[in-house]
Amino acid sequence: MGTFQPGFVHTPVTPFTREARVDFGIYGKLIEFHLKHGAESLALPMHAGESVSLTDEERRKLLEFAIGQVKGRVPVIAHVSDSGTAIAVARARHAEQAGAAAIVATPPYYWTPPPAMLLEHFAMIGSAVRIPFFVYNAPDEMGGVKMTTDLALKLIGRLDNFAGIVDASLDWQFMIEVISEARKVRPDFQLVSGTEYLVSARAVGAKGMFAPLAGIAPALLKGLYDHCSKEQYKDARKAQEDIAAVRQVLKKGGVASLKAALHAMGRDCGAPRYPLLALGEAERGRIADAIEAIAAMGAEPRGW
Amino acid sequence: MPIKLRGVMQSPVTPLKDDFSPDLATFERLLDFHVRTSGTAISWPHHKGESLNLTIAERKLFAEAAVKAVAGRVGVSIHVSALSVEDSLDLARHAQKIGADAIIAITPYFWNPTKEAIYDHFRRLGTSIDLPLIAYNSPSYLSGIEFDGELIERLIERLPNFIGMKEASFNSEKFIEISRSALAMKPDFALVTGVEYLLPSIPLGGVGSYSSAGAICPNLCNAAFEACIAADWDKARELQYKLSRLWLLFRDQYPSSLKGGMVMMGRPVGPTRPPLPTATRERQDYLRTQLEELGVMDTEPHGWQ
Repeated sequence: MGTFQPGFVHTPVTPFTREARVDFGIYGKLIEFHLKHGAESLALPMHAGESVSLTDEERRKLLEFAIGQVKGRVPVIAHVSDSGTAIAVARARHAEQAGAAAIVATPPYYWTPPPAMLLEHFAMIGSAVRIPFFVYNAPDEMGGVKMTTDLALKLIGRLDNFAGIVDASLDWQFMIEVISEARKVRPDFQLVSGTEYLVSARAVGAKGMFAPLAGIAPALLKGLYDHCSKEQYKDARKAQEDIAAVRQVLKKGGVASLKAALHAMGRDCGAPRYPLLALGEAERGRIADAIEAIAAMGAEPRGW
Repeated sequence: MPIKLRGVMQSPVTPLKDDFSPDLATFERLLDFHVRTSGTAISWPHHKGESLNLTIAERKLFAEAAVKAVAGRVGVSIHVSALSVEDSLDLARHAQKIGADAIIAITPYFWNPTKEAIYDHFRRLGTSIDLPLIAYNSPSYLSGIEFDGELIERLIERLPNFIGMKEASFNSEKFIEISRSALAMKPDFALVTGVEYLLPSIPLGGVGSYSSAGAICPNLCNAAFEACIAADWDKARELQYKLSRLWLLFRDQYPSSLKGGMVMMGRPVGPTRPPLPTATRERQDYLRTQLEELGVMDTEPHGWQ
């Protein structure tokens, strides 16, 4: 197990029609855009893809559609997180049957799980499938609930297919601790950067990157990813600082900002679904201007 | 002398006698040890030096001893942060008077100051002396009180003597927000990470670190820095993983275990002042087994020589 390496992972948004239905026409175009601009895997629907705002049936359809559209050109990683373990387990099984290359899951939403609960939740999801299972660690998004090295080691003991952690904690102490300890017992254990803050993660041993901004700045991110893959950090640093600037522009508004930025880049994917509110005209203008002001964005593709 | 901020800089612990009183003789031996084992600068008393458990008079006494013992061989910065800002200003003036080369200061303790109040604090501190000023960012210990890019830019603009930062968030986003602002305005602004988190910070423009484990394993610390500078990343990872294990040993109730480990390295520095515990004999023995497992006992100097 564990030979699967996700590489440079694009995490597409989920386009909606004016009636807030999944817009499969646009989704197909968006997937083609990602494949054309360097995606080595797709992971969907991540939080940037408004996973929690989709019904179970919509998530299954979305995944099946994406796998059908991709037709094996790159691996598709299915995001199966939910509050209830049984719901996530059923979604994981469906993902495997639908042809996903791997699954990824966060801690259960809302329950502020103690470590023992987290362990059982992940163990049940992971053991429901044979494909690789990644844990997504994003304490800032999950009310501070986070993976620990101890938990990772216990999961390795429980699951042959526990392939690694997609880490958005950005925490050097944790990243170094977990990768160095986990590799002692599972040499091919992977740390994957869960955000575009790749330089430090790569330096301490991460391989691969989930990139929520790949729909906005695929060229910049490809440069960052390639320089980091070769450990050419002098070149990587400039790209890292540029993408950090883009992230800061979009940080406050979350997915609503992300969709406003996609619109500004000529790839309209509609508004976010409720409860998220679409940004007003003025705020959208501010985002478009702020992105325009970042020189490196001049080299990014416009339109589809 | 102009202080050079590069490489692994040492922030000594504070040696105490069995009755918890200052042990200046051992302090001088320790400073000498750090300088001889290639510490590129000395900075005292960080929290590792139990700064907050020393009286202001004791801090002045040790600071004078530090400047005297180092005797210009490397730069010396004095950490002036105290609970009371009046004491900080006093310590800063004292540092200048005794011939220190720089001061270093963290964001104010306890009060949850606004960004404006943090700016004002550093402006007052920086203009109260002629020495270079190093700011110290440690949001995880200070309930989210921290620097961001904008604050750094304002302070660099206001204070010509603002030369660097101890950046101890250990967080990619926080480090980058500070580094890309500071280095764009002032390319020689020195970003120094805490502990020995060299590998994640140097590729982002960091120049080195203050040291946690330098009194235990100076060779390992220096080798990690050299590997990063030589872009020998596989080697750097191996050494950084080792340093991470050491940090996990010492982090809890810092610097109690560090002082315990120093006993095992033949460099005893006495107890740790309450409320911090002093490492028990059992803890010291456990630390010894860990240091042996990491190969530290065989590759690092034993005793003071």
